[in-house]
Amino acid sequence: MSVRLETAVGALRLANPVMAASGTFGYGLDLADLCPPERLGAVVSKGLSPRPRPGNPMPRIVETAAGMINAIGLQNIGVEAFCREALPELRSRAAVVAVNVFGAALEEYLEVIARCEREDGIAAYELNVSCPNVSAGGIEFGHDPALLEALTARCRAATRRPLWVKLSPNAPDLVATARAAVAGGADALTLVNTVRALAIDAAARRPVLANGIGGLSGPAIKPIALRMVWEVHRALPEVPLVGIGGVETGRDAAEFLLAGASAVQVGTAIFREPAAPLRIIAELECFCAAHGVADVRELIGGLQWR
Amino acid sequence: MIARRDLAVRVAVRTDLSPTCFRIVVATPEPFAAVPGQFAMVACGEGLDPLLRRAYSIAGVARDGERTLVELMVKEVGRGSSRLRRLAPGAELKLLAPLGNGFTLTAAGGARLALVAGGIGLPPVLFAAERLAAAGAPFDLFLGAATAAELLDVERAAAAAAACGGELVLATDDGSRGEAGFVTAALARRLDEGRRYERALACGPNPMLRALARLARERSLAAELSLEEPMGCGVGVCLGCVVELADGRLVPSCKEGPVFEASRLAARWSA
Repeated sequence: MSVRLETAVGALRLANPVMAASGTFGYGLDLADLCPPERLGAVVSKGLSPRPRPGNPMPRIVETAAGMINAIGLQNIGVEAFCREALPELRSRAAVVAVNVFGAALEEYLEVIARCEREDGIAAYELNVSCPNVSAGGIEFGHDPALLEALTARCRAATRRPLWVKLSPNAPDLVATARAAVAGGADALTLVNTVRALAIDAAARRPVLANGIGGLSGPAIKPIALRMVWEVHRALPEVPLVGIGGVETGRDAAEFLLAGASAVQVGTAIFREPAAPLRIIAELECFCAAHGVADVRELIGGLQWR
Repeated sequence: MIARRDLAVRVAVRTDLSPTCFRIVVATPEPFAAVPGQFAMVACGEGLDPLLRRAYSIAGVARDGERTLVELMVKEVGRGSSRLRRLAPGAELKLLAPLGNGFTLTAAGGARLALVAGGIGLPPVLFAAERLAAAGAPFDLFLGAATAAELLDVERAAAAAAACGGELVLATDDGSRGEAGFVTAALARRLDEGRRYERALACGPNPMLRALARLARERSLAAELSLEEPMGCGVGVCLGCVVELADGRLVPSCKEGPVFEASRLAARWSA
C-alpha cells in the first residue's frame, strides 16, 4: 500500500515527519554527501548566536549506557557566517531549514532573528531556551514561565515566520513552561532537549566532563521524552509538537507521533549513523504500510490511553 | 581522493599483535582507497552497545581479487574494542571511511622523512612507511613503546624501512628492546648526529606528540602529528573532539585533522 508521509507543523508543511536535530547535523550541509538535507522533513541548524562562540573546554562528550552526555557549550560559527556560507546552498537544494536561535540575553535572540529576516529560505525559528551547558541565558528563560513568555513574545513580534520553542525536560513544571511559550506566541513546541546528567570518573574522583554537568541524549531518554510529549499534548491538544529524544528507528518515530507529535527530530542517532534520518523515513513508511496506515498523520496523538 | 561512504564490510582476518592489541582486516566489494593518517568510524557492537562508533586509523589498504582489504590495528581498552576483538572472520560490521586528512607523503628532491610511532599509534605510520617504500621514497622509521611486548609488527616495519635503505629505530621506555627511553629522544640523537629530515610524521600518545612538537620547534623541523582525540561522530558535527589551534580556534580533530601541522597547534602542544 502507498503511504502518505506529508505532515505539517502548524502552517509549515513537510514532505515527511523526520528532521535532523539542532547540534547534530552541523549547518545543514556538513553531511550532505551521506544524508542530503533536501530529503528530510527539515533540518535544524546548530544553535546560532549573534557572534561565533568557542564553546566549552574538553572533554565535552562521554558515552553512557544507551546514551551520551554532552557539554559542548553552543560552539557555533555565528549567524552571519551561517547566512553567508551555508544558507545559499541550502536554498538551492530546496532544503527546509529551521534556524535554532540562541542568545545569552533577550537582545541576542532578537539579533539572530533580525539577521535571518534579511534572508529567504528559512522556514522556521526554533528558540533554544533549554541548553543545560551554558551559564548565561538559555536555560534561565526555559525554566521560568514568565521570562519565557516575555522572550517568546518579543521574538514573535520580530518575525512572521513559524516560531518554535524547544523546551527543557529539566524545567520544574513542563506544562506550565509549554503554556508560557504558547501564550507568548509560539506556533509549535519542540520537546525535549537533553536531560541534565553527570558522569563520574571513579578512579579520579572527578566528573568526566570539564563542565561537570552535561546533557544526556540518545535512546536512554526516549521514554522520558515520550511521556513529556504525551503530557503536553494532553494539556495543549491544539498545539503542534515536534518530538525529540532517542529516535533511532521508524518505530520510535511512530511512537512520538502517537504521543502527539506532528514530526520528530533525530539527533544522537546521526552521530552513530549519518544517514540515520533517511533510514528512519523508510522504516516509518514500512511501519505505516504494515499497520494499515495510509496517511502518517493518522498516527498523530493516536495513543489510546487506558 | 575517494569519497567517504558507510561501507558494510566483513571481517577477513583477526589476529593478536600483543596481549592487548590486535589486527583486524575487513573486506569490502566496493572500491576503496585512503591516505595514511585517514581513519574509519567503526560500528563495533550490535544494537545500542556501545552507542557510538569507534575511530581507528587505517593501517593499510590492499586489493585482493574482487575485494578490497582494509586493515586496522586496535588496542583493547573498553567495550567497543573488546567486542571487535571477539568478532570472528565473516562477521559483518559497518565502517564509515575514509575520514579526515592524512599525512603529506611527498618530499622535495628525494629528501628524507622521519616516521615516528608510539604504541598503538603505529597504524597510520606503518601505512605511510609502506606507501613510501612502494614509491621508493627515503625515510627512517622510529617505533617506540613502553616495553618490548608492546612494540607491534616490528618485522613488517623492518621490511618497509629496508626497502628504501632507511633505518628502523626501536625504543622502549624500560629498555627491554632497542634504545632505552622515549622514541623522541632517539630521533633527537639522530638530529644531534647531523641527520636531516624534510619532515617528521608522527602518531602516538599525547605526551609523545607533545615531546615531538617541542623537538620540532627547537630544531626547526616540520612535523605533522596525527592526534588521537576521542571522537563522537567522526564527521565534524558533534564537536566533541575539538583541538585548540595557535590562533585560538577550537576545531574538530576529526574534520580538520586528525593530522595537524605541529606549528598550527596551540602553544601548549610544544611548551
